[in-house]
Amino acid sequence: MLGAFAQAFRTPDLRRKLFFTMGIIAIFRLGSFIPSPGVNYGNVQICTAASADNDILGIINLFSGGALLQLSVFALGIMPYITASIIVQLLRVVIPRFEALHKEGQSGTAKLTQYTRYLTIFLAVLQATTIVTTARTGVLFAGCGAADSGTPVIADDSVITILLVILTMTAGTGLVMWLAELVTERGVGNGMSLLIFISIAASFPAALWAVAQTPGGLTTFFIVLAIALVLIVAVVFVEQSQRRIPVQYAKRMVGRRTYGGTSTYIPIKINMAGVIPVIFASSILALPTLAAQFGDQTQPWVQWIIANFADPGAPLYILVFAVMILFFAFFYTSITFNPEETADNMKRYGGFVPGYRAGRPTAEYLRYVVNRVTSAGAIYLLLVALIPTIAFVLLGVQTTIPFGGTSLLIIVGVGLETVKQIDSQLQQRHYEGILK
Amino acid sequence: MDALRIGLQVLLVITSAVLVLTILMHKGKGGGMSDMFGGGLSSSVSSSGVAERNLNRITIATAVLWGVVVLLLGLIQKFVVI
Repeated sequence: MLGAFAQAFRTPDLRRKLFFTMGIIAIFRLGSFIPSPGVNYGNVQICTAASADNDILGIINLFSGGALLQLSVFALGIMPYITASIIVQLLRVVIPRFEALHKEGQSGTAKLTQYTRYLTIFLAVLQATTIVTTARTGVLFAGCGAADSGTPVIADDSVITILLVILTMTAGTGLVMWLAELVTERGVGNGMSLLIFISIAASFPAALWAVAQTPGGLTTFFIVLAIALVLIVAVVFVEQSQRRIPVQYAKRMVGRRTYGGTSTYIPIKINMAGVIPVIFASSILALPTLAAQFGDQTQPWVQWIIANFADPGAPLYILVFAVMILFFAFFYTSITFNPEETADNMKRYGGFVPGYRAGRPTAEYLRYVVNRVTSAGAIYLLLVALIPTIAFVLLGVQTTIPFGGTSLLIIVGVGLETVKQIDSQLQQRHYEGILK
Repeated sequence: MDALRIGLQVLLVITSAVLVLTILMHKGKGGGMSDMFGGGLSSSVSSSGVAERNLNRITIATAVLWGVVVLLLGLIQKFVVI
């Protein structure tokens, strides 16, 4: 296995790609530490320490690798790009034009990507404004860092400075988006997911250290580590598994040559929706808490939300989370895999599933199989997302998000994908791959 | 020092705007959730014509300038008492 790594670096074009990717990652991490102009870095440090484990912005902060609470130039990270992609994907169901564009093939997809990019900048402006406003009023750091307090986060509270910060963050988000695209184009792996991976992985050591610092920390530390390892193995196992539906292709004569006559299969992954249901569910569940931040702390509805939704270990939170994951797992699978379309394509190229007529019966059979497989997949997602949370509640560890199932799923998913891509490049040159 | 700061701020506004515009002018590569987190075959069509290459150069130059301006503003704020 180590030999394969050495081979990867000995292959010239792969080595160039790997170094390129690493360079981009370095730029991305560096930018996460450069404060936006106008932000008082010293006061930000004071306030971050004062309002430690702020779970409200947890998942957003996690996706930005901790850059958000530092109000750095890459504060928003890759999040607006992800949100924009999710929105454009979902709009395909609602707006017929988007669906038509998607079916158009390459040129249509390019147009959809372009829409996603415009939407990203728009969302970046919106989110930057929100962040700056909450930082200025002191909501972001739980009362610390307001403009009229002793430690203002934004040094001089004029309109021009605030606009500058917003503009800088927007430009930073654009730059992150471009970096991600560069990785996709010239590096290894998918840039967007790789940058999320980096952000999450970057927050791991600090969080682990925090666990070890608590009283009786060492035992808990090892238990946390063990749970994470077991889960990683389980996730890798399930992510790799798939149901294979056999497909037989009829022989065709075109001119003097014979085509087809082969038998292949449609691979149906157990967890076709990937980690997206978990991301959706946690993003949506972050909203009530965010809304509560703007309300008066003494009002009953605010207190109810804080009691039930601010803590990922609360029973109601777990329940709603579970229902949402199940729903989104089926919803997203139905978006990504269309049985009618697949059956249609098979019919066009003379393929059929043995025992089923081409066309509608095949589509129905495919839908039946996909629904059954997805049921298992949804329950698996649910377990992976919830087991760490429940275990940590029982252990009495702070249910901080870095060890939640979400981050584990993302890390393993992206890691596997990237390694597979490096692998296929190695095998192009007849070297032994990393995965055996 | 004030003149320098205001000059840099103006420069920051200009570079930020140019940066966003040039980035939006690029042809997007690899968006969409389907090829995130596994699944989907990503077709890597790397066709960069002359226009795209020049655009890349402009974008990189703008990004570097933007970064330098941000750093300088940060340094001014840190070491010069306003």
